[in-house]
Amino acid sequence: MMLIRLPSPRSNAKRPVPGVAALVAWGGLLVPALVVAAPPVPSRRPAPVQYNRDVRPILSENCFPCHGPDPNKRQAGLRLDVCEEALRRGVLSPGHPERSRLIERVTTPTAARRMPPAAFHKSLTGEHLMLLRRWVAEGAPYQAHWAYVPPQRPAAPKLTDPRYPTRGAVDAFVRAKLAEQRILPSPEADRRTLLRRVTLDLTGLPPTPEEVEAFAADRSAAAYEKVVARLLASPHYGERMATPWLDVVRYADTVGFHGDQNQNAWAYRDYVVQSFNRNKRFDDFTREQLAGDLLPHPTSEQRAATCFNRLNMVTREGGAQAKEYLAKYAADRVRTVGMTWFGSTLGCAECHDHKYDPFTTRDFYSIAAFFADVKQWGVYADYGYTPNPELRGYNNDSPFPPEIQVESPSLKQRVAHLQGKLRAVARTSAPVAEVQRWREGVASFLGRHAEGWEALEPEAAISGDATQARLGDGSVRLSDGATAVLTLTARPTAPRLAALRLELLPRDGDGTTVFRKGMEGTTLALSATLQRAGGRSEAIAFRHAGANYSEPRYRSGQALVGVQAGWKLSAAKGRELHDSVWLPVSPPQLGPGDALVVTLPNVPAARVRLSVSPLAPEDPDTGVFPAAVLTALGRNGPLDDEIALTWLRSAGPPSPAFAQVKSVEAELWGCRKGWTPVMVTEAWAPTPVRVLPRGNWQDEKGALVEPTPPGFLLASAPAPAAGRRLTRLDLADWLVSPTNPLTARVFVNRLWKQFFGNALSGLVEDLGAQGEWPSHPELLDWLAVEFQESGWDVKHMVRLLVTSHTYRQSSSLRPELHARDPQNRWLASQNPRRLEAEFVRDNALAIAGLLQRDVGGPPSKPYQPEGYYSNLQFPDRPYEAERDERQWRRGLYVHWQRTFLHPMLVNFDAPSREDCAAARTVANTPQQALTLLNDPTFVEAARSLAALVLPEPGADEQRLDRLLLRAVSRPARPAERRSLLAFLQQVRSEYRARPDDARKSLRVGVAAAPANGDPVELASWTALCRVVLNLQETITRY
Amino acid sequence: MQHPFDSYEFARRVSRRSFLQQSACGLGGIAFGALAADANAAPAGAADRGAGTPAPMHFPARARRIIHLCMAGGPSAFETLDHKPLLREHHGKPFPASLTQGQQLAQLQGATLIARGPAFPFRRFGRSGQEICDQFPHIGGVADQICIIRSMVTEQINHDTAHAFMNSGSILKSRPSMGSWLLYGLGAETANLPGFVVLVSQGKGGAQPVSARQWSSGFLPGRFQGVQFQAKGDAVHYVGSPEGVCQSVQRLVVEEVQRLNGLLAAERVDPEIQTRIAQYELAFRMQSSVPELTDLAQEPQRVLDLYGVKEAGEGTFAANCLLARRMAERGVRFIQLYHRGWDHHGEIDKAIPIAAQETDRASAALLLDLQQRGMLDDTLILWGGEFGRTPMGQGSGRDHHINSFSMWLAGGGIRGGVTYGATDDLGYRSVENVVTVHDLHATMLRLCGMDHERFSVKFQGLDARLTGVEPARVVSAVLA
Repeated sequence: MMLIRLPSPRSNAKRPVPGVAALVAWGGLLVPALVVAAPPVPSRRPAPVQYNRDVRPILSENCFPCHGPDPNKRQAGLRLDVCEEALRRGVLSPGHPERSRLIERVTTPTAARRMPPAAFHKSLTGEHLMLLRRWVAEGAPYQAHWAYVPPQRPAAPKLTDPRYPTRGAVDAFVRAKLAEQRILPSPEADRRTLLRRVTLDLTGLPPTPEEVEAFAADRSAAAYEKVVARLLASPHYGERMATPWLDVVRYADTVGFHGDQNQNAWAYRDYVVQSFNRNKRFDDFTREQLAGDLLPHPTSEQRAATCFNRLNMVTREGGAQAKEYLAKYAADRVRTVGMTWFGSTLGCAECHDHKYDPFTTRDFYSIAAFFADVKQWGVYADYGYTPNPELRGYNNDSPFPPEIQVESPSLKQRVAHLQGKLRAVARTSAPVAEVQRWREGVASFLGRHAEGWEALEPEAAISGDATQARLGDGSVRLSDGATAVLTLTARPTAPRLAALRLELLPRDGDGTTVFRKGMEGTTLALSATLQRAGGRSEAIAFRHAGANYSEPRYRSGQALVGVQAGWKLSAAKGRELHDSVWLPVSPPQLGPGDALVVTLPNVPAARVRLSVSPLAPEDPDTGVFPAAVLTALGRNGPLDDEIALTWLRSAGPPSPAFAQVKSVEAELWGCRKGWTPVMVTEAWAPTPVRVLPRGNWQDEKGALVEPTPPGFLLASAPAPAAGRRLTRLDLADWLVSPTNPLTARVFVNRLWKQFFGNALSGLVEDLGAQGEWPSHPELLDWLAVEFQESGWDVKHMVRLLVTSHTYRQSSSLRPELHARDPQNRWLASQNPRRLEAEFVRDNALAIAGLLQRDVGGPPSKPYQPEGYYSNLQFPDRPYEAERDERQWRRGLYVHWQRTFLHPMLVNFDAPSREDCAAARTVANTPQQALTLLNDPTFVEAARSLAALVLPEPGADEQRLDRLLLRAVSRPARPAERRSLLAFLQQVRSEYRARPDDARKSLRVGVAAAPANGDPVELASWTALCRVVLNLQETITRY
Repeated sequence: MQHPFDSYEFARRVSRRSFLQQSACGLGGIAFGALAADANAAPAGAADRGAGTPAPMHFPARARRIIHLCMAGGPSAFETLDHKPLLREHHGKPFPASLTQGQQLAQLQGATLIARGPAFPFRRFGRSGQEICDQFPHIGGVADQICIIRSMVTEQINHDTAHAFMNSGSILKSRPSMGSWLLYGLGAETANLPGFVVLVSQGKGGAQPVSARQWSSGFLPGRFQGVQFQAKGDAVHYVGSPEGVCQSVQRLVVEEVQRLNGLLAAERVDPEIQTRIAQYELAFRMQSSVPELTDLAQEPQRVLDLYGVKEAGEGTFAANCLLARRMAERGVRFIQLYHRGWDHHGEIDKAIPIAAQETDRASAALLLDLQQRGMLDDTLILWGGEFGRTPMGQGSGRDHHINSFSMWLAGGGIRGGVTYGATDDLGYRSVENVVTVHDLHATMLRLCGMDHERFSVKFQGLDARLTGVEPARVVSAVLA
């Protein structure tokens, strides 16, 4: 058993011995003699004290708050963070602890004199005092804070140990540290575990059983490297890498404050995914997000990237004071840039100089000033008491400008998918004889109306004092005047009403207005009825209407699709012909004598024309039938997909295929031809930025500041041309300049944490004085320089980390080292890690074969407890879970509602993304158990998994193996097999006794349950699959 | 945090023997509760809580639990707890600019400011003769037990941020709410329920959104976050077994998960496995303890009448008050009720009677019920909003106001029958014995036995406290 045996290469791929050995193992858990690989370290002369490693943390924690960078809180005028100051005041006497007042004051028995003062609630330990004394004795050498000095590449240690491969610098540094402690690394994890680990780490998805078997069988030397290359090329790599980035940039689909309305940001999320997939250089990635709009001739991708500057929480609350919120937005941006690139917690400098790091309040506002040109509003509405004329007419359903429209690759893909689906329906459900009959009628119609439209010559009646006149071209002209209801009555000759066309023509010919006076830009409503020759009257409902010009009408931040519920006319296009096509829900057949009555209440148009067609156009926004379709229909040629499709969308019920076409078309129009709005940064004249004394936004006495990097880092910043105001692009350039000491370290430190569980410097959000001295400082610097010199190549860095032996080690923890290295910072083994919230979901769906793998696209809504949004208002937020395959999209695409994040994500510690979060907490709670047990997503996944496994040939034993292979990449162990089979028997007898329960249990979710088969058997296997999806091993990456 | 949960320590304390014995033969029937003692101690145990935990307490605790009745939207003091006869005299007159100059306004920005007199008379209640608006006779009925604070101030003038400030003492989103702080500091007293529970009810008018952020554990571990109980569907998300899965099948499933996790623990060293096993135990117990807790049908009619609960599961403030008592009995540490119904920008003369009808009887009933059960002495009740409302009118209502507002406190170490602090004659500004939100938090922590200055957690390199960095004081005058 590995955990008690000395780690040795021979134990490498062996299966652990279960049973008795396990008991012995646990008995021996805490006996160091059994497990220490090397003899105890002989006592040696202690290495010299290092200021950064040993002394700064003590001074920072206990002394700097009153004797550090913040002048407002400084006591006795004494600074201990600056060597010269400490020497000048004579508190340090290098080489002579006994003469140093610092030592005297921290050791004096007189309580009143002893530092730190009792009221400060801090005290120094004996070890602290010993270190301080030794430091002074050794000459009290100060060091610049390590993270603020540009990294230099140290030479990698040379180590030779034939028993363990050293695969490059990562292993060399880690092994050197272990060797210092006389610890051997762990052997490589077994192949199945390793493949599952690296697949989950690089894609957030589990390997397929085939991938597992292939890797287990591939004995070639480069087998692992091939796998890594495959995974780095996977489109799911970008999804996995995007997740932590979306945490730091606080990406969400809602604005966060008060009404927490929807915001259009997902095209930015897709930009992040694509950037990682295409391995965009991290320096470009930085520039595009901070300042894509300032690049020369920015592409729409670069502009979408600037959504980053818009991801701070914003408000539309009535009564909010714009200035107050602008101050909040500014501070939020500084905190986010601070944590994301500086790896520093700048938040406190909003009100006072940083107590531990040399960031001043002035620095805080000087960074804020870089963003003073971002076009934004403190309150995104035009309230009487806070007028914003540019937002006139905005309400709680409006989006958050400025936005641009961008083409979305994922939407385009969906459009293609849906078009394919339409064609498939057409191909399979067009009965030749029926289509033929229909074509004859259509051909005759086209003989009369070659364009496909029959212009009507309606009788017109208008109420009120307006007048109407019929013109020769079928149009009706209306006079200006008060509110008027226009009624048009006509008797079409078309065999069927598949489409109705309403044109608004320029009143007096080209270049004149289409509006009646005073009606510019108003909304047109249309209703229609059919007066049958027999006297019966039928109302016509419309499923969709498209228009060439319209102004958007919004619901929850989204423009409504189609104008059927109201056509908001475009005042800006007031001199252009407005054209619209209306498609009935059930296209009625028309007979001789049937009259079409169209009513336009409060008609805004000055001249209108009606036409009808027995054909429904593919694109209702234009009303133009492609010539090829018309020709084909007129010619009576063979039945092809196009004809079949036109028949399907035009011929109406009672065909079930028509219902299908309607629903697919509705989705298709919802894709807006592949375009989506996204919030972007637009520059406007920079607003003045002042230091706000104590963060008080009402205090205007503070100094005006210009955009400037923090003073103490200025040396690393390129000098700007004299007199030029620095821009966001300058900020970005400086962040990724080779002289910047922080950015590369901060990024590789986070990356390290992603793959090893702990960061090299433990606090990923703070590399400052209160951060942690790195466990492997040289390695961190080596990696930072490597990152810069590789051309900010993220995939290169990921490959470096995951191909190291350190990464590939067994993750079985080493109890014998616990006392010496309780957090496994030395990495004598890998660290197991529970999957992040999104991947807990993805993993279960993938195992169940339900996962929908499309990359990117609009947020999706999985099952959610009813009423979860009931505390949301302005507007109210109904929640409709997806009813098709979008139900099973990956976790990163789940609609991210900041104030009420999906409970499954909350329960597994996903952050609300209201604020920048560089590290997630990892809890282990009963809510997690309840989620995996009872959330319909996991119950449905279990049933789908059961339906996958059950029909396979073989006995229950083999099914179990295949099940576990899917879930945890290995077959069942004997004890598990026995236990699960016994469980299966018990559940079967439960369900046999209550077959109704069995049937009920198969109803959860929208996935189709198998129509045939024994419900008791399926329900029992579903229960078994629930067990498997709930296992610690299933949700853990070992 | 610098000192994370020592999972080894925990793993060592959790007995594994039962799993190894049973898994060897693959039989079912793990004794639920065998792990209970250890597993349940864990979320509360000292080793689990990490740094900054006051162990032992700084002071003797007066309160073991807190019930916060949050009147969300911001009640007007002038129609609840702060009697201002002079404001009535000024009704309709211009409001003195000397008071309002340079002060924050919400929807009244740029408007002409006119004094608006109280819409209802005040009466003296109880032996103490405390003055309370006559729309709240039941709260008046417990006047001798409550302490009215008329001199509250806050810093945030909009609902969202004001709630955040009231809950966490900060508007930074990463800050834990007071319920999380308390649970973190004191640990849980219940093995079967979350230690911090939130209930939300909606009034007939004056509702504003309230965010789950308000009960977030911020940078504290997720198990300290508030768990919202729902009136409809499962009271706790996912606490109900799936359709067609009866108790016995669900039990078999959980037992099998436990058994297999036990086998895994024998295969590999990972202390998280033991924690997971303990959490499944707790989850399974919650599946029955939560429905038992929320089943108000168990309450006798006279108790339902006392609170004014008409039917079980109705989700009203009254039903939530009764649930609060049941939670208090079962050891929930911090119980927070939001009643969304106090944002009275207009028609305050109609809105107050509605809000009073929704909250008055039940608030007093909760106090009386706890008292009858001998639990008021160690239960601290807080009643009030995230801010107050202007003495100036906004049409027929009042706007948000941060310079003065009122609350009442009762139980757990609070002096009853006193009014503390005062506003100026027109009620615009708290002028006497001003109490900040941080002071309120400091006082609350003191009643729970903690020194707010010493109760801190390392976060992003700083000692973070509920009461922030500025000095805060314990309001000793309101302590019994």
